[in-house]
Amino acid sequence: MVTLTIDGKEVTVPQGTTILEAARSVDIRIPTLCYHDRLNPIGSCRMCVVEIEGYTHPMAACTTPVDDGIEVVTKSDRLTRIRQDSLKLILVNHPLDCPVCDKGGECLLQDLTYEFGIDQVEYKAAKVERESQYATPLIRYWPDRCIMCLRCVTACQEIKGIGAISIQGDGYGAQVVAVDAEKCQSCGECLQVCPTGALTEDLSRYKGRTWLVDRVPTTCTYCGCGCQLELNVQNDRVIAVTTREGVGVNHGSLCVKGRFGYEFINSDERLTKPLIKKNGKFEEASWDEALDLVASKFSAIKEEHGPGALAGLTSARCTNEENYLFQKFMRAAVGTNNVDHCARL
Amino acid sequence: MAEILFSSWGGEVVDNRQKDGQDFEPVNTVDLPEYFRQDEAVKALMGWYGIVIRDPETDIVDLSRVYIQEVQNKSCGKCFLCRIGTRVMAETLTRICNGQGKSEDLEILKRLADSIRESSKCNIGQSGPLPILDALEHFAADFEAAISAQKSVAAGTYHSKLTAPCMDACPIHLDIPNYVECIKEGRFAESLDIIREKLPLPGVVGRVCVRPCEEHCRRMNLDAPISIKFLKRFVADYELSKGKEPEFAIEPSEKTGKVAIVGAGPSGATCAFHLAKMGHDVTVYERFDEPGGMSAMGIPDYRLPRPILREEVDRIERMGATFNYETTVGKDIKLSQLEADNDAVFIAIGAQMGTTMGVEGEEENYAGYISGVQYLLDINQGRDPYPEGKKVAVIGGGNVAIDCVRCSFRVGKDDVNLIYRRTKNEMPADDVEIHDAEEEKVNFHYLTHPVKILAENGKVVGLRCVKMELGEPDESGRRRPQPIEGSEFVIECDIVVPAIGQTMDLSLLEGREDVKTTRWKTIVVDEVTKQSDQPKIFSGGDCETGPGALITACAGGRTAAFNIDKLINGEPLDYTEDDYFDKFFSKVKVFDPAEDIGFLGGRERKELEMLDPDTRKFTNAEVEQGFSINDAMAEADRCLRCYRVATVRV
Repeated sequence: MVTLTIDGKEVTVPQGTTILEAARSVDIRIPTLCYHDRLNPIGSCRMCVVEIEGYTHPMAACTTPVDDGIEVVTKSDRLTRIRQDSLKLILVNHPLDCPVCDKGGECLLQDLTYEFGIDQVEYKAAKVERESQYATPLIRYWPDRCIMCLRCVTACQEIKGIGAISIQGDGYGAQVVAVDAEKCQSCGECLQVCPTGALTEDLSRYKGRTWLVDRVPTTCTYCGCGCQLELNVQNDRVIAVTTREGVGVNHGSLCVKGRFGYEFINSDERLTKPLIKKNGKFEEASWDEALDLVASKFSAIKEEHGPGALAGLTSARCTNEENYLFQKFMRAAVGTNNVDHCARL
Repeated sequence: MAEILFSSWGGEVVDNRQKDGQDFEPVNTVDLPEYFRQDEAVKALMGWYGIVIRDPETDIVDLSRVYIQEVQNKSCGKCFLCRIGTRVMAETLTRICNGQGKSEDLEILKRLADSIRESSKCNIGQSGPLPILDALEHFAADFEAAISAQKSVAAGTYHSKLTAPCMDACPIHLDIPNYVECIKEGRFAESLDIIREKLPLPGVVGRVCVRPCEEHCRRMNLDAPISIKFLKRFVADYELSKGKEPEFAIEPSEKTGKVAIVGAGPSGATCAFHLAKMGHDVTVYERFDEPGGMSAMGIPDYRLPRPILREEVDRIERMGATFNYETTVGKDIKLSQLEADNDAVFIAIGAQMGTTMGVEGEEENYAGYISGVQYLLDINQGRDPYPEGKKVAVIGGGNVAIDCVRCSFRVGKDDVNLIYRRTKNEMPADDVEIHDAEEEKVNFHYLTHPVKILAENGKVVGLRCVKMELGEPDESGRRRPQPIEGSEFVIECDIVVPAIGQTMDLSLLEGREDVKTTRWKTIVVDEVTKQSDQPKIFSGGDCETGPGALITACAGGRTAAFNIDKLINGEPLDYTEDDYFDKFFSKVKVFDPAEDIGFLGGRERKELEMLDPDTRKFTNAEVEQGFSINDAMAEADRCLRCYRVATVRV
């Protein structure tokens, strides 16, 4: 264990802990922008710089491990100047299109700009036109909004192990591009971690403001993994799927289906009532009618050919409990062991 | 040396601007060369450590503009302040130089320079704005004048370069911070690509390099250098473990030709790699039946397993180079023949002969007297050099001597002695090697010098030695050992192995007196282009430099390849800007071991797992076990990424 002080407060943490983690453990807030709990520290934003007594150079709290006896200062005029300059430099050419940005209202850059009271930027640099080189039909990239915090690049590499995107070019002209576009699975990990509106979900664009939606926690139905997600609901329509960091087995990750495959919910083509084919045509029926019909047909088959003539196949999209009940039904009610599950195939 | 008008290099300000020439204070922190190249006098330098101005006509505002623009160009874009901040600074200075400066510009420059310097992620941003701050402080009047004049400043001529202490120290100038960063980010294949832009033997160099880079690693000023060598090995091993065949893009030169390479060692192989990449028809002639030259025949398997070496050279063969093994140039085929049949010949035959000690009994050809080179060659070819002998005395203090003693255990010798005339402190062998040999229980006899080889019936039976003491320092700065009278004693042994140095067997040059050689039997070539007096003959590696580091041999092979390409394309073999910067940085040091970095250090260097000394000494299994993925990434994360920019006004 290592003992240090942060803003005069004594903290004892295990060796290898970063200054940022140590500060958080005692509820001292150090502002961060590129830092993300699920990623190795990136260190691109420099918002978390702190001063360490006896060392001339400020250091990033997210990447610096603690050391015994150090005295860390997280707030000073110098640090505020650096943090403000870091934000001001981003704002040199960041578009102020917050009113039409999907991220408006839950944007980290917005929050920090507000927190540090930046109402004007005295720095100027000509704008470099960046091309949108990274996009899929589901993910939209807004190069002008990108602050190049590299969360997306890091998440693609570290969480998904794909490495489809990377930084290309030097200096001011550097930008995030799809270096290996074919590898991209449109899983949306990148937009999940994006702190600004640089990466957005293209299906939900202009459908609803973030502060107006209800977020309904639920379990993804696409497979048996049980990923936790939140349906973003506005006016009884699902307009997006988001996740919460650290929740469920998926810790905030989803696959392309879980994140983007929600449009069927409100689809006009979706069946909402049972149909029974009469005279070669499907006709709407009540649930009782439909279930009675199925029960009678099953019973007839069982009577005539024995229970072995029936078999049941369930879906991986059902829950464990539903699958359990189904095999119970097949075995106890129908009387057959002919039961299987598509995930086994 | 022409006097310096102003210097803030290394934080020490010397201001001679208001003084007469004879009252000029000297500058101790930097040795600014007078010329960048023959016709270009160095007027000023702006770089990571400050400003040095020699010519009073230097326009500091224009110099600042060019320098910070270069910093911006080289900024990697991975942290906000450096990426955007240096751009704002560059545009502001450009505006001032164009006569459109505003009064508030200087305040903005200063504030930004402070913020960028204090908080950037790597040394480009940390060091980049430093000389601008110096300029604003000491040349404020020049900036104010440029702003108030509102007219364009005359643009000068400049040379700029990005470097880093490790990169500069590496003979082949591998882009170390870049490939280390890729490892940190888990991009192992990219890391390897960066290494292979220059070096085709990462697995070999990653095992046996003498690592000048680590001696110039700035992290050393905080705690311990980055384990650069083993990180290189890690990415090479990782690729091999995945069974992935690297792809080398062949980009043919405008004109391609035929090149013969003599020797398939590191220098020849590297030369073949680059020539093959440029589409030339390359044939390598090698006297042994396998590649590697002295690195295969001289370096034991427990340090460099041969399959690694073979695989890396075989890949060069698969790129299209032809390797003719068991072909000795000078015997099987004449050099003149190669010269006639090819557009160029690259001689890289290494230093393959042991030198003698000059002690009594050496000329007698006693059984059991074996040169270090021969001793290792035998063992590496699977033979016991002298099965009858069990007690070995190796003389020397270099890596070859250590290889000889450690190999001895591995062929069943049980009493192994190393005799060195100075102390452990002066020993030129790698500290790690010395430590490993100690662990394996070699008997070290320091301050001991052989005087006579004792023999009976033509067989070695012992070595008479004398005790030494250290006297005054000699020209190498090491204290000269002197014998202590009457201290003679005998080490009982039946094998005596002198491993005190190597020399070249230049018999392939017989009848070719027109190829100039030195009295140390090295081939004389232009130090940069590697071309000899005979335009078609180039040389590199040990036979050009004398016995040296493997990576230096590779570097020689690489530069020779590019110059051979120029020759084939009928271009003049001019030095490049990079070549001139190499000379420039040999004076203006890129690494300052005394620099106070001002960071919190204390992050432990990851060490490799080693086989147990009591068992490993009886096998040829590789002693050092490579990094795990986690250790490699953690080690790479210690890199400070010490890129820095220098701009020279000529």
